[in-house]
Amino acid sequence: MKPPSFEYADPKSLDDAVRLLEEHEFEAKILSGGQSLMPLLNMRLARPELLIDLAKIPDLDHVREEAGTLVVGGMARQRALELSPIVRERFPLVYDATMHIAHPQNRNQGTVGGSIAHADPAAELPALVMVTDAEIVATGPDGARTIAADEFFVTYLTTSMEGAEILTEVRIPALGPSTGHSLQELARRHGDFALAGAMATVTLAGGGTIESGRLVLFGVGATPIRARDAEQLLAGEKPSDALFEAVAAKAAAELDEPLSDVHASAEYRRSLAGVMAKRALAEATARAAV
Amino acid sequence: MSVKIPTSIDQLPNSNPRFIGQEVNRVEDPSLLTGRTQFIDDLVLPGMLHCAILRSPHPHAKIVSIDTSEAEKLEGVLSVATGKDAKELTNPAPTAPEGWGAYCLAADKVRFVGEPVAAIAATSRYIAEDALELIEIEYENLDVIVDAHKAAQDGSPLIFEEHGSNVMMQRVFTWGEVDQAFADADHVVTEKYRWNRLGANPLETYGCISKWDLLENSLTLWASVQSQSHVALGRAVVLGLPSNKVRVISQPHGGSFGGKGGFRGPDIAAILSRKAGGRPVKWIEDRMEYLGGGAGQSWDRHYELSLALTNDGEVTGLRVKLLDDLGATAEAFGTVSAAKPLAAFVGCYAIPVAEYDLTMVVTNKLPGAPYRGMGPPPHNWALEQTMDVAARKLGLDPTEIRRKNFIQPSQFPYIIPSGNEYDSGEYEAALDGVLEMSQYKALREEQARARQEGRYLGIGVVNTIEPGVFDWNAYAIVGVQGTGVPEGVTIAIDIMGKITCKLGFSLEGQGQYTVVTQVLADYFNVEMADIEIVYQDTLSAPPHFGPGGSRLGVAITGASLGAAEMLVDKLCTVAAVLMQTERENIEFMDGFCRIKGMPDAKMHFAEVAGAILARSDLLPPGMDPSPQATFAWTAAGRTQADDQGRAKSYLTAANACHVVLVEVDIETGHTEILKYFIVDDCGTRLNPSNVEGMTQGGVAQGVGAALLEEYVYDEGGQLLTSTFMDYLMPSVYEVPMTEKKALVTPSPFTPLGAKGAGEGSMHTTPAAIMCAINDALSPLGIKAHEVPAAPNRIWSLIQQARAGESR
Repeated sequence: MKPPSFEYADPKSLDDAVRLLEEHEFEAKILSGGQSLMPLLNMRLARPELLIDLAKIPDLDHVREEAGTLVVGGMARQRALELSPIVRERFPLVYDATMHIAHPQNRNQGTVGGSIAHADPAAELPALVMVTDAEIVATGPDGARTIAADEFFVTYLTTSMEGAEILTEVRIPALGPSTGHSLQELARRHGDFALAGAMATVTLAGGGTIESGRLVLFGVGATPIRARDAEQLLAGEKPSDALFEAVAAKAAAELDEPLSDVHASAEYRRSLAGVMAKRALAEATARAAV
Repeated sequence: MSVKIPTSIDQLPNSNPRFIGQEVNRVEDPSLLTGRTQFIDDLVLPGMLHCAILRSPHPHAKIVSIDTSEAEKLEGVLSVATGKDAKELTNPAPTAPEGWGAYCLAADKVRFVGEPVAAIAATSRYIAEDALELIEIEYENLDVIVDAHKAAQDGSPLIFEEHGSNVMMQRVFTWGEVDQAFADADHVVTEKYRWNRLGANPLETYGCISKWDLLENSLTLWASVQSQSHVALGRAVVLGLPSNKVRVISQPHGGSFGGKGGFRGPDIAAILSRKAGGRPVKWIEDRMEYLGGGAGQSWDRHYELSLALTNDGEVTGLRVKLLDDLGATAEAFGTVSAAKPLAAFVGCYAIPVAEYDLTMVVTNKLPGAPYRGMGPPPHNWALEQTMDVAARKLGLDPTEIRRKNFIQPSQFPYIIPSGNEYDSGEYEAALDGVLEMSQYKALREEQARARQEGRYLGIGVVNTIEPGVFDWNAYAIVGVQGTGVPEGVTIAIDIMGKITCKLGFSLEGQGQYTVVTQVLADYFNVEMADIEIVYQDTLSAPPHFGPGGSRLGVAITGASLGAAEMLVDKLCTVAAVLMQTERENIEFMDGFCRIKGMPDAKMHFAEVAGAILARSDLLPPGMDPSPQATFAWTAAGRTQADDQGRAKSYLTAANACHVVLVEVDIETGHTEILKYFIVDDCGTRLNPSNVEGMTQGGVAQGVGAALLEEYVYDEGGQLLTSTFMDYLMPSVYEVPMTEKKALVTPSPFTPLGAKGAGEGSMHTTPAAIMCAINDALSPLGIKAHEVPAAPNRIWSLIQQARAGESR
């Protein structure tokens, strides 16, 4: 479990990092928190010629609120989200999602940008940006551009970023008024990737009906999946277990064949996705009502 | 002299023992907690090289050719070894029944994915791993067999062609009139069970440094080994060396649980050292090597159990049929695990007759290795679940069927049908204790309330025996030669009156150095700080075995007391001369040799020892000026196995009763442990906090076994759980901190009345959790008889039950 030899660069500016990446596009890998990359290197499953470490680039690790939006630098550690009073008080779903990421040791190292750019479909942060309609800022040779979360995840471990782009910022809008949230997942152990999970937000209208809801399933497909068709069933309805069950069932039924592995068959994952979705909708609604 | 060893604390020559039985601080901890303990990977020797091992990607294949020429050319590579070297320079492993072992590097064919086929020694591990990529091997794939049932059939692909079969052993042991018992039974309950592969996963994997001395033709091996003398003997056999030319130095190691076998590494490193002109070669097993090719896989078992019962729940007969899948060879003591259940075959119950139908097969999987408990945990797990099935059938509470069948206190010592003798026990008291602690009745009420709310809670009540203080005699029946298990120490008193105890095992985590220190401090009535423990290697130490089979705490206490008795006898002999009286007038008490009946006529042992060393002119004629003694302890009264494998093998029978409350989420199949209670009885507790740690640690491994851990091979023989991403160890979040109480029924047979407790709850927890899950699911008519009870598995059972209902 020792990596083959590679070159290492730790550029001191974003421009330098982008330039290096452009020069070595197919041979280089970005090193952010290293929580996925380091094992891949040690197992010799990833064999980059060059590692570009972002750690020395200034001003990439901010966590701040700008006009109701949480703005997080790509190199902000997940632990910084966890410890931020802003996150804890104003962005409870972000806090919830963060606390479901592995263990404190991993969150100390793991970065927000790294997790999203790695695009593991069972990870919490990709699902979080989907359910919150967040924006992702990618910086490349032509400068920065903003990508909607919906358009960011292409397939398993693949995003719509170009080869020489670096994820530099994430912008997560706060939940609106009368809106509740929930994260439900089943993992074999505390801190593991979920076998299946769901994140939901529900906004109530006056008179006890649901104005709108958002539902994302994760761990059950090649990317986190926004269940837009199922969400539509919520609008204008009175909350009920039967409603949540119907919405969840539709969301689960519309999934492409989920992954099957030693921990969960495709059939089980699909069923689990429905259960998690139902519970997430119920909890989000209950929280919205408070 | 014949040495009489105290069998209770009040027999010690100390009117006020201060340490034994107390929760003293462990003497091992300061160096561990401050990072000063030197583990194998900390050790760097001059000129040391680093080994990397190339492993087979195929489960079953002929090796057509190996080309190492490019690897040899890489700068920094000093030696290369293949199966050709192994065949020329070594013998197959002696730890398997004759003909079922293998060379350390696959010689002609590979039998499992991960089997070593070639190895490199280089100036760094990085270079060594680079060089592995330059080795070219041509394989010719053979048919693969991973299913134990199919492996046992005629016409199956053969792992060892020369045997003409994959069945290593098939034998039925019959103890009493079993057929009659089943013919006469009012009820017969028969159930099948599947225990999937899991195993030990110490924090530190295996590691070693082999140094071959070309001039002396000798091997020095530094290694993180559990039983060093055993390993040394094995190396002498494998490497064809005289036994006194092998020196094994056991480094302190980060746990073992059976996983520190390191069965091939030292031999591979020895070949590489020999070929590199004698430079020391270090091999540190990485975690992927450990999981896929180490000593971490055990107990791949298919059980069928039958109980014969009377109408009122008395169990009158037990049949156990076991198909044991040992993997590709039996080199890692795989067969022993199937024999050990004989030591506690009927658990806590007075079942009069029993039968064991045992089949061991080889398949294209990693050879099975020892794991904590060494075989009985799956046996107990199957037996205890069957007791619950019987109880349910007869309308009895699980506590009632157990109560009806317990061996009673008046019956000890009690010989079970499979021949072993239980020393003592109070099984009903343990049950009552844990029922009271858990408020069992209230738990049942809680369960009933929850069920009305649509929640599925389950309660497991399980009691088991932990055979302790093992002896090799029982294992001849499965083809493994015994080497004995003496445990020796040398105790010496120096001229300043300080005590040194030399022994033959290194730190592994259980705290035995502390136990020795406690025993000797009380024996000589000194402070614990006055005792120094000195580790000795295999060529220096008195006869020894080290940890294994829940024996070291008892054995090392016996050895320490025996040596102390011998040494004190010598001190008293000299004291008699110095005080001008006869030997028989001298007694030893509270650290003094004193004249009986004259409390003030006494000499401190340090003074006497000092005189022995310094004043040869005062010594009795013929006495050597050496205040030291060596004593090796072993269990008395062990017997040879008879024609049905019956032997007195394990000296002690500790027991425990666990009560666990779980909740099964029937929408997801996920199990959560809500409450956990334990009463356990391991006789005299030499160090209660050591026992506490053993118990809690065993619970952790039991939770892993019941819910999480599983090595999964696909039909093609590939391991699908090759990292800790997929092989799931329990963490603090999954393991409940249990509520525990002690019951103390001393052993009449052992030093200070202590029983083996080192394997502890691993015997009980898997059964307790599975009984609880089955209790939770019984309203749905579901039997969950496979571990781990992963949510996927439980969910599937629930779906099947519902499909059955709707038909």
